[in-house]
Amino acid sequence: MSAIEKINESVAVGAREYLTFKLDQEEYGIDILKVQEIRGYEPPTRIANAPAFIKGVVNLRGTIVPIVDMRLKFNCESAKYDSFTVVIILNLHHRIAGIVVDSVSDVMQLAPENLRAAPEVESVIDSDSVIGLGSLGERMLILLDIEKLMSGDDMGLNSDAC
Amino acid sequence: MAEVHQDTNSAGSDFDLTQFYQIFFEEAGENLDLMEQMLLNLNLETADDEELNGIFRCAHSVKGGAATFGFSDVAELTHQMESLLDRLRRHELQPNSSMVDVLLESADASRSLLARHQAGAEGAGPPTTDLVSRIRSLASGEIPAPKAAVVQVVAPVSVPVTPSAGTVPEQPKALTAVVSADGVRHLEIRISQLDREDQVVALMELFRDIPGLGDIKARPWTAGTPREFEVHTTSSNEDLLDLFAFHVSREQVVIQQVAEEAAQDHALSSSQTGTPLGFGFFDGAPGAPDLLAPAAAAPAAATVASVVSKAALPKTAGAANAATSQPEAATIRVAINKVDQLINLVGELVITQAMLAQNSRALDPALYQQLLTGLTDLDRNTRDLQESVMSIRMIPMSIVFSRFPRMLRDLAGKLGKKVNFVTLGEATELDKGLVEKITDPLTHLVRNSCDHGIEMPADRIKAGKPETGTITLSAAHQGGSIVIEVRDDGKGMSREKILSKAREKGLDVSDAMTDAEVWQLIFAPGFSTAEVVTDVSGRGVGMDVVKRNITSLNGTVEIDSSEGYGMKVSVRLPLTLAIMDGMSIGVGNEVYILPLSSVVESFQVKSDAVSTVGQGAQLVKVRDEYMPVIELEKVFQVSRFDSEKVSDIMVVIEAEGSRVVLLVDELLGQQQVVVKNLESNYRKVPNVSGATILGDGKVALILDTAALVRRSRH
Repeated sequence: MSAIEKINESVAVGAREYLTFKLDQEEYGIDILKVQEIRGYEPPTRIANAPAFIKGVVNLRGTIVPIVDMRLKFNCESAKYDSFTVVIILNLHHRIAGIVVDSVSDVMQLAPENLRAAPEVESVIDSDSVIGLGSLGERMLILLDIEKLMSGDDMGLNSDAC
Repeated sequence: MAEVHQDTNSAGSDFDLTQFYQIFFEEAGENLDLMEQMLLNLNLETADDEELNGIFRCAHSVKGGAATFGFSDVAELTHQMESLLDRLRRHELQPNSSMVDVLLESADASRSLLARHQAGAEGAGPPTTDLVSRIRSLASGEIPAPKAAVVQVVAPVSVPVTPSAGTVPEQPKALTAVVSADGVRHLEIRISQLDREDQVVALMELFRDIPGLGDIKARPWTAGTPREFEVHTTSSNEDLLDLFAFHVSREQVVIQQVAEEAAQDHALSSSQTGTPLGFGFFDGAPGAPDLLAPAAAAPAAATVASVVSKAALPKTAGAANAATSQPEAATIRVAINKVDQLINLVGELVITQAMLAQNSRALDPALYQQLLTGLTDLDRNTRDLQESVMSIRMIPMSIVFSRFPRMLRDLAGKLGKKVNFVTLGEATELDKGLVEKITDPLTHLVRNSCDHGIEMPADRIKAGKPETGTITLSAAHQGGSIVIEVRDDGKGMSREKILSKAREKGLDVSDAMTDAEVWQLIFAPGFSTAEVVTDVSGRGVGMDVVKRNITSLNGTVEIDSSEGYGMKVSVRLPLTLAIMDGMSIGVGNEVYILPLSSVVESFQVKSDAVSTVGQGAQLVKVRDEYMPVIELEKVFQVSRFDSEKVSDIMVVIEAEGSRVVLLVDELLGQQQVVVKNLESNYRKVPNVSGATILGDGKVALILDTAALVRRSRH
């Protein structure tokens, strides 16, 4: 059975793999298939007049990649840059972008029975970008539709809204 | 290629052919281009079978393909062309200029029909019945009345006149041996455009002054023809050309071997003169291979090149044939994005290599000898690799130049002028992206030369010039850039006319302006000194567009003109769009790159040199000129840790015809940078045209000088 078929099958039964990461005390999960790689944080080149959460651009093996600090985007209290700070490089619809998070935890498979609908609460995250909640014992994951989140107008990553 | 194409097409039409459409359109386009080129180069009196067959094959391939794919209109037209060409190649008809005209028109018509099919257009295309009937009448042997205007357009340099097949094997082998034994060759050297007596004397003196070179004898000469000399020498053609280069250019010289008896007569007189001039690697050992080249009227340089290749290949006859065939050898078609990816990866490799080199500098050479040797090799290999990869994107200028003979032929015919078109340096290579963008401005310049530059034949004779005007298009590498020149020997530009026109337009001019400044005025929008507006040019749109297009490619335009003698427009372009000469500047802790082509000068200022106007706009006086000041620190909101430090270096930049001054902290240096697109993953950033990766792997933004200049206007 090829890798593609395996994926298709797991999608069919609803089990998906999520990369989980931490922002402050909250734990988030994103579709692993959107993740290209994980790197350490290196200071990007600042871009003038960009929103504060866009840290700038870095050189990823010859490609210029914008870096978004999710902690600033989600109004976390502190956004420290230390040796644990990591950048998740995402490959979204032929565009590449990096997000800064406090730490990456692990990759988890979530079956449909572990998924909960997202409650209607006031938050800085656009509710359209939240798929739902994943509950695993004591842990609660906020599952993000990272593609929708990153291509949103308020992110300002694209010139043309798509 | 043509034959192969035929075979694939004959494979029935019972399956879906649409997948092959693209290939057909590409090949048909190539065939039509090739046919047009061959038609233009066709010598009507002495057209040989090879040329006529070649043209026939092109038409035949297009017809076959069009019929297979069901483009009946194209097939019908090309079928008629084919019948005419078939009669020509079987020598049942003598080719004449009206046939060439109608064939060229048919090629155009086929092209537009094909373009319609490619675009998937429905319905009837442009009518071809007129063309078809004209070809039919020509093919049946009728001779229509010749056209009134006789147009003469030749492209002499681009067509190496090939030695007729069969001459080469006829050269007796014994002769080669005899001559190589004593090394003296008897040559006839023809030098065109050598009118001044002192140049002739200088050439003759070469032979007197250099011992062992041989002797030279001038033949009787009449003005207007090439000078002819008889030379006995042991030196190779290449050495002779090098020597002559002090007095005449290579293109003027034609070296030809004289019959063998003469050579033998002279053989004893200067035998055993020792080593010939130069290194003697080529001329001595292989038995003066030049003998094998019956280089009748071929340009000297081409002759020498083909001789060398023959010396390398023992099969001389085969080599001669190879020289007569088209220059393009085996090529493959590759999608451009694959090449671009390759270039990106190599760029990456170069940066990694640079980082390794930097990090290894601190190592003890004694302990890490092997590692360091490896790194040196890596350095060299990456450089070579980068060079070869970059060269993939490079295509010769001949791609652009080849469209002009046809255009000028039509244009000159329309205007009733006689124009001789000369191209030089078509082998000069340029980035593909640039080639596409430079074609339109060049077309405009060439049209201008023909329309405004070259006078009517009668006026030329009155002015004491040859009836036929000459337009020269040349390309050459100069350092890291390419220089393309459009030169004509027409009437040139009138300084007074331009100045008065400029005053009319309300431009700020004075009589004290230098010529160069005056010529630059014609780039102002809406500027034209043409007395009559034709449908070709003269409406005053154009030169400003030319200038803008070239500036957007980081290029420059210069004009040189002399009234009554012609003008020259030089376009200087960077070799590739992907690499740019940049000046890195520091503002606070940040580094930005300025395109070097837009930097005029830089200097240090004291704060009192800057004056403010109105709402705080700053101006600085540079040599009696006030220029707006842009503080990069403010534009890019650079934060400063050291509040004491202020920017005190000013860089004058020029874009879109205006100048502004940038205030920066420091100038860090000049370097070639690889231009990267910011928008592929991010979006357009104001005042920034792109980004690049510095030697340490960091990203630096490239400033958009045009945007900065525009900013100062508001």
